[in-house]
Amino acid sequence: MKLNENSKILAAASIVLKQIGLILIALLFATILLAVSGYDPFAIVRGIGRSLTSDIAGTVRWATPLILAGLAICVTYKAEVFNLGVDGQIYMGAAAATAVAMALPATMNHGISVTLVFIAAMLAGAAFAMIPALMKVYLGTDEIVSTLLLNFVAALYIEYLVTGPLRDPNEAMNMNASPIISENTWLPRLAVFSPSSANIGIFMAIIIMILLTFMFYRTSFGHEIKIVGSNPVLARYSGMKPKKTVLQVMAISGAIGGIIGAIEVTAVQHRLLPGFNPDFGFDGIVVSLLANNNPIGVFFSGIFFGALKNGGINMERITDVPSAMTEIVTATIFIVICAKFVLPKIKKRIKDKKSAEEGGK
Amino acid sequence: MAVAVEMLNISKFYPGVVASDNVSLSVNEGEILGLIGENGAGKSTMMNMLYGMTEPDLGEIRLFGNQVRIQSPDTAIKHGIGMVHQHFMLMPNLSVLQNIILGKTPTKSGLIDIRKAKAQIEEIMETYNLPVDLDMKIYQLSVGEKQRVEIIKALYREAKILIMDEPTAVLTPQETDKLLGVLRKLKEQGCAIIFITHKLREVMAITDKIVVMRKGVVTGTLPTSEADTDTLSGLMVGRKVNLDIPRADYAPGETVLEVKDLHANNQRGLPALNGVSFSVSKGEIVGIAGVEGNGQTELIETVSGMLNPTGGHVFLSGKDVTKESVRQRREEGMSHIPEDRLGMGTAVNCSIRDNLILNRYYQKPYCSKGILNNRKLHNLSEELCVDFGVKTPDSTYRLGTLSGGNMQKVVFAREMEADPEFLIAAQPTRGVDIGAIEAIYHKIIEVRDSGRGILLVSAELDEILTLADRILVMYEGEIVAEFRRGEADERTIGIYMTGAKRQGGESHEA
Repeated sequence: MKLNENSKILAAASIVLKQIGLILIALLFATILLAVSGYDPFAIVRGIGRSLTSDIAGTVRWATPLILAGLAICVTYKAEVFNLGVDGQIYMGAAAATAVAMALPATMNHGISVTLVFIAAMLAGAAFAMIPALMKVYLGTDEIVSTLLLNFVAALYIEYLVTGPLRDPNEAMNMNASPIISENTWLPRLAVFSPSSANIGIFMAIIIMILLTFMFYRTSFGHEIKIVGSNPVLARYSGMKPKKTVLQVMAISGAIGGIIGAIEVTAVQHRLLPGFNPDFGFDGIVVSLLANNNPIGVFFSGIFFGALKNGGINMERITDVPSAMTEIVTATIFIVICAKFVLPKIKKRIKDKKSAEEGGK
Repeated sequence: MAVAVEMLNISKFYPGVVASDNVSLSVNEGEILGLIGENGAGKSTMMNMLYGMTEPDLGEIRLFGNQVRIQSPDTAIKHGIGMVHQHFMLMPNLSVLQNIILGKTPTKSGLIDIRKAKAQIEEIMETYNLPVDLDMKIYQLSVGEKQRVEIIKALYREAKILIMDEPTAVLTPQETDKLLGVLRKLKEQGCAIIFITHKLREVMAITDKIVVMRKGVVTGTLPTSEADTDTLSGLMVGRKVNLDIPRADYAPGETVLEVKDLHANNQRGLPALNGVSFSVSKGEIVGIAGVEGNGQTELIETVSGMLNPTGGHVFLSGKDVTKESVRQRREEGMSHIPEDRLGMGTAVNCSIRDNLILNRYYQKPYCSKGILNNRKLHNLSEELCVDFGVKTPDSTYRLGTLSGGNMQKVVFAREMEADPEFLIAAQPTRGVDIGAIEAIYHKIIEVRDSGRGILLVSAELDEILTLADRILVMYEGEIVAEFRRGEADERTIGIYMTGAKRQGGESHEA
């Protein structure tokens, strides 16, 4: 028994080491690439170092949406559902948050109005995630395609909102954006990190991480997600309702996406801007994959990618290295992980489909 | 007669497993060798090495006296080795002719010479009495005909050595007879045949010599004339196996399952059940016999609640459950051992415990307000592992680490722990070895004797004959015959299985 537990700790440790190894490979690759292109080869490493020491504020600012996006991805991934539409859900959450914030009277109690704004954002994100989820469950549409395409719908919808219904009526401001929302709907920033826009969203991310960990490992719903994810036929045979589970995880994922949108509006921008989201949803995939889809791991991997992003921005400010170089690091990590985790899964999907077809004969 | 195949002192190692350990066997021209053993005994490994799918780590292979290295199936075919796989390697949308000439196509000035191909194939069909319509598409053929195509394909490629991997597993008794006839003919023509099977009766009927394997080693090589089924099963399992299990007298109680005029469609939306009616009483095993694909799967799924019927009713202990969900039916006393253990019955990547708790994880005292009581669930799964003899250090191991027989024990444990009134057992012994089959038969009889109703669906006629109190024969979505235990033998049932005859109605001539 004891031996078994020890071996489990060892196994977990070896996974963590492997993931760190992945990061090192990616950083090495980027360093070589920088050297070859004639830049300071250690710019990225230095940038990350700075992010984790003197500029923690910036790291927290970027880590918050990345951790949440990673959590949104890992919820669905456990049920073997691929939600590539977190970005769309972020946009919809931001839109709902802005609309509700603009509608609430400026004299309302701060706590209540922020709560209402976040509830609206979660509902909007979840509702937007229901479109591909219902299509998957009732029409058999591949959610990878539908969620991806709906991102464009959401992004364009935001552009429509900020040029039309939600546009700042102040003619002097010749800008496609909503007006600044009233202060009673702002999510508080962290005073220690002033003047950075790092905010208490990081605590929301931690709370959601803890809730999800509990949900996965200690509730009957978590058991259902696990079974649906590993064998949906078994789930159906044993009396679960896999379709319902798929809808539920998509709703949770969409609600988390909505929270990201609300945080970006109420704590960072204080208004709705069309291009406020630098593809957090896609980065969330890498965050979750690097963490092996473990919610606690997502927290740490989110911090790393937050530091990377922040380091890239600093790097661009101080040196002439473009911040796009950090995206090469992300991409390299993504490719290495893909080769390890995703390819076998895709192969299995194809195999399952084939055998299902043969079985029908 | 000259020696055709010699495999000498062959060893093959996989990480952690010795798949074959210093195994030798030989076949002469015009001889049939029976290669028998339980699953995982190493038969397939030996044949895969002969057919070039993998190479031996030690030892040598000689064909017609010359040492050879067979690196790929292609080389094997060139050396005159043909293999008829258990799962046919045919293109369903191509014609029989196209399938046969695939890979060895006669050409005339760059074009396929159909006439020459036809002539060659027809000659083979004539010589060996293997009639098939060359212009039919593969998907239109019956299982027996597909197998014939595979044999013709091997002969067309001039195979002198034929490996038959469990060829009778998918055949009706009548089709098996035909196949054995063909094999005798091939033998007369000087073909060397290796016949892999676990059906001892067939081995006794057709082979000249038998090699028995167990756990990677040869436990016996003997001429068929000196063998008997008792000795062989002893060599296969390492102890005496007794499938003749004592059972209580047949005393059916009240009806536990009743199915009335059930209609259902298959996955493709075509009718698969056309008005099935029967009932199962307490203390009774009702066996459904039939060639696979005649509606058995749909019957199981409708009864268990996974498939909505298009008409008819299902009653469980007198209550109409037709509209109820799987979970409701399970809670009202239905358990189900599914035919596809890996695809439906288990999640191989989850722990043994995750698999064992599926009926309980949401119920008190194992769960309250949606929160699991992991300690209680752990105790439950540890107890079940002990009670049902699942061989594992503890239940947190991945299910995939277990052997087929042990996985089946996990499924059994889970389904029996629910204390069902009525049990569906579909292909309960598929892919498990004889030792485990014996244990499973004991368990099923025990369940029956304790006054529960069992619906047994099996493609193995032997199994139905051994276990069932009543036998129903299914053909094309209908029940075409019913027998009491001991009323009919394999042959009689076989006739009904092929649809050539039906009870109470007119008989069709096949």
